[in-house]
Amino acid sequence: MGPSLRRHNLNIQAVKMAIKQRKAIIFAISIATAVVLILWKPTVLIYGLQAAGLYAAVAIPMGLVLGIVHIVNLSHGEFMMLASYATYTVCRALGVDPLIALIPAALVTALFGWVVFQLTIRRALKAPELNQLILTFGLAIAFSQIINLIFTSQTYKLSLEYSSMSLDIGDLSFGVWSFVFVAVAVIYAVGLQMFLTKTRTGKAALAVGQNPKGAAIVGIDVYRTYGLVFALAIGLVGAMGALFLTKSAIFPGVGSPFTMKSFSLVAMAGIGNIPGILGASVLLGLAENFLRSFRGTRDWAEIVYFVLIIAVILSRSLKGKKS
Amino acid sequence: MLKIQGLECGYGRMKVLEGINFEVGAESVGLFGPNGAGKTTLISAVMGMIKPWKGSIELEGVRIGGAETFTIARMGVALVPQERELFPGMSVEDNLMLGAAYIPHAKDDIPNQLEKVFELFPILKERRTQYAGTMSGGQQRMLAIGRALMSKPRLLILDEPSLGLQPSIVAEVFEVLKSLKSSISILVTEQNVRESLKAIDRGYVLENGRIVLEDSAEGLKTNPHVVKSYLGL
Ligand SMILES: Nc1ncnc2c1ncn2[C@@H]1O[C@H](COP(=O)(O)OP(=O)(O)OP(=O)(O)O)[C@@H](O)[C@H]1O
Ligand SMILES: [Mg+2]
Repeated sequence: MGPSLRRHNLNIQAVKMAIKQRKAIIFAISIATAVVLILWKPTVLIYGLQAAGLYAAVAIPMGLVLGIVHIVNLSHGEFMMLASYATYTVCRALGVDPLIALIPAALVTALFGWVVFQLTIRRALKAPELNQLILTFGLAIAFSQIINLIFTSQTYKLSLEYSSMSLDIGDLSFGVWSFVFVAVAVIYAVGLQMFLTKTRTGKAALAVGQNPKGAAIVGIDVYRTYGLVFALAIGLVGAMGALFLTKSAIFPGVGSPFTMKSFSLVAMAGIGNIPGILGASVLLGLAENFLRSFRGTRDWAEIVYFVLIIAVILSRSLKGKKS
Repeated sequence: MLKIQGLECGYGRMKVLEGINFEVGAESVGLFGPNGAGKTTLISAVMGMIKPWKGSIELEGVRIGGAETFTIARMGVALVPQERELFPGMSVEDNLMLGAAYIPHAKDDIPNQLEKVFELFPILKERRTQYAGTMSGGQQRMLAIGRALMSKPRLLILDEPSLGLQPSIVAEVFEVLKSLKSSISILVTEQNVRESLKAIDRGYVLENGRIVLEDSAEGLKTNPHVVKSYLGL
């Protein structure tokens, strides 16, 4: 036992060293990038981080569903779009601010998510993965078409003073409201991490994600857990729907790029890696805004997520081959 | 405790078990048979992981055939599966905690139960913060047994508990089983028939999905068929 244990420890140490080294390299590159951007293109850094916050806050709940319920929800962004429209309608009718509607919007969309789960997704969980993709894709189309029928394809926007607040530093002027997305993304990431590792219900959810059969054996109601996790994720996206409305115009197709970008961010981070989604979002936000800052590459910004996901998947499969 | 009558079940259209009459009282019972005989299938039916086609399964007089696995677990049936079924990315301690957290009669006594399990398997205490998935096969087997014990089971089912364990640990596991015998009912399947005959009161032999023999441990030890096929004398 002695020698083999020691060898094992050595291996762990080597792996730990390698991880530390990698972390140090990533850290150094990030700092260097930040410094270069601050000096050369500060707005890329600012708007890049704001976009990253928005992307991460939407993608994190999708990562939660993929990690625990093991489905790719292709109607993820559409749930946010629905929440935006619901919030818009209520705010217009009652004359209230979407920020007041934030928590009610989250609760109502969570409930809606739970119902959708029980009526549709639950029945497809044992089906082949392709059926699940078709189901959630179908939901996405249904959601945006229903909104199209009720609201037409016209765009709606609330004009709110606070969302156009800006800050001047020297001759640099930029909007600050969108930093709220960064705050929400961090709250989501930290909150979920705490929930999953510190609370009994969270641990049960994690257990269900890691081994549903084992979870049932210890008395956990697996399908109920799936339903609750799905509802929680949709609720978090619902809150983002209300928040999104403070800043942006909405239209029936507004959710679909969020579905695609969320999916690529989750795939880049790897299943079950919530902090990784934050990192991937920063990469995507910066890359998009960097391209947008040059006239020649402006139009490429919207598809850079596609390039990133291909690059990450290629590098991962190359690494897989090596080891 | 557990009473099965006329049970028939299988997978898809393939029938695996037929005409099973089986009982576990306040005792420990062994279930023996060659690979593929249907031992794990019988246990899966008891745990609600597959639905019976015919016949009845009763737990303390309550019919549980067709009930969900988590309900059966909450009624006091704990399983140590052949494939262990741990939560690989969670710590040893969390795995143990989850063994009791959703069992009504065990969830309020977790610290106490944890101490008992650590006493039984000191290695689990030593490794309490290690991820279950990084433990060795034998250690994982111990963790699976510990997790089942956390739930204060009325009926403990062990599917090949000695699989992959070194002989000294196998002996220890059987010691544990013997020490538990007085307080809980036990159903155990084993390839290691010789060792398990020392720990059980009664046993069944299952072949090709049917029960071909049922006798006390003493009776099985001297039964010519058992001696020839399972004790290899
Ligand atoms: N999930 C499944 N789907 C289809 N057939 C199965 C499944 N699980 C088991 N079987 C079949 O059922 C029969 C009984 O298998 P079972 O696992 O119950 O045997 P066992 O007695 O536990 O064997 P072992 O000693 O190898 O564990 C086998 O013929 C097996 O191929
Ligand atoms: Mg088996």
